Amino acid sequence: MSSEGSWKIGEIHFPLSEAFKISIESIRKRFVRAAITTAAVILGIAFLNSLMMMSAINSVVYKQAATPAYQWWLLFISLLVCGVGITNSMLIAVAERYKEIGTMKCLGALDRHILLMFLNESIVIGALGGILGYIFGVIAAVIYAFVSIKNPASIVGVAFTQPSQIIPGLSVLPSFLSLLILSITLAVFLSMAATLYPAYYAAKLKPAEALRYEV
Amino acid sequence: MRYEYTVETEDLAKYYYMGKYVIKALDGINLKIRRGEYVSIMGPSGSGKTTLFNMIGGLDRPTRGKVYIDEVDISKLDAYELAWLRARKIGYIFQTFNLIPVLTALENVMLPMIFVGTPREQRIKKATELLSAVGLGDRLHHKPGELSGGQQQRVAIARALANDPAIVLADEPTGNLDLHTGLEIINLLRTLNKEKGVTIVTATHDLKMIDVSDRIIYLRDGKIDRIETRAEVTVEL
Repeated sequence: MSSEGSWKIGEIHFPLSEAFKISIESIRKRFVRAAITTAAVILGIAFLNSLMMMSAINSVVYKQAATPAYQWWLLFISLLVCGVGITNSMLIAVAERYKEIGTMKCLGALDRHILLMFLNESIVIGALGGILGYIFGVIAAVIYAFVSIKNPASIVGVAFTQPSQIIPGLSVLPSFLSLLILSITLAVFLSMAATLYPAYYAAKLKPAEALRYEV
Repeated sequence: MRYEYTVETEDLAKYYYMGKYVIKALDGINLKIRRGEYVSIMGPSGSGKTTLFNMIGGLDRPTRGKVYIDEVDISKLDAYELAWLRARKIGYIFQTFNLIPVLTALENVMLPMIFVGTPREQRIKKATELLSAVGLGDRLHHKPGELSGGQQQRVAIARALANDPAIVLADEPTGNLDLHTGLEIINLLRTLNKEKGVTIVTATHDLKMIDVSDRIIYLRDGKIDRIETRAEVTVEL
């Protein structure tokens, strides 16, 4: 008997593709909750887009460029609420899966693999929410244009294709494209940031404690 | 290299501190389990069975004492090394089966092989073989929700064997199964133990387990009460 290792510790693998597959399956399995989380992202991003588009339309019609400061505040608050919603929903997702996390650790998963699985889920939810939020936001802006201004089709055409000043680096692109990029980036970032704490909590769970937990 | 003792514990203790009180879940356990043995740990609830299971399985750290798996002191390992040990050296079977619900039977058995880096073709081949060996060759693509309790436990057994572990730890493997299915699972474990030479340690209070065990270790209040070999038990009966 020796206290030194007489066998060698090897490497642990967990390819991104496998983590991603499990994340997608988890979202499908718990579709309703994932859908509610995505709805939170959609609402925030749709609000952002409708606001941006409406102010672009207004700038064409009334030659008024700036978005009023209180609207930025509204936007900020709505994104914050959306982030809190995602965090809450992810915390529940973690609690639901204590046993699964404990089992994964028994099979050889490292903390970072657990983190990866949850962050993957948040990226999928974020990207989906970003795209759908963009679509709904644009629809809302178009409806606004058709309801409230004359000659809406051409105005909307001009407003959507003129370069946007919102994001300095993307000002060469027409605003509908730069807004799409902004929406997806912001949604993924927001979703990941909101998931970070729940995912970290899940990753740090001790296997013995995670297994003891009865749902 | 072969090791005589797969598991060895030296003065193993685990205390839980609850305010002023100290709960001695394990208190000075000395144990040697030989390669290829089938050992049952018995005792009433709260006797420390699961704590001992967690210590041997590298799931929790002891307050005092040492645990050797294949002659390596696992209380000295860091998180990465422990994870590798769990993946490669130990197979776990739980009372509640603990399959990953979103994965099929085949994928569940393949999961431990992903962690040790087995190539995909080999994973599929090995997992298929194992599932056939436990009698689920025709249920490869079913998810746990589509399987009965006994079938789920068979998948869990196949998963525990995926990386040819030095030891299979089973915590109340028959606790959630009816008498008949429980007996089937016990016989399956015994067959695997005899045919493949897998070392099996079960924590249980299922008396059916006595018939198949080489040794029975009785725990009481975190200490070894007595150890019986099968011959002695048969004499008593």
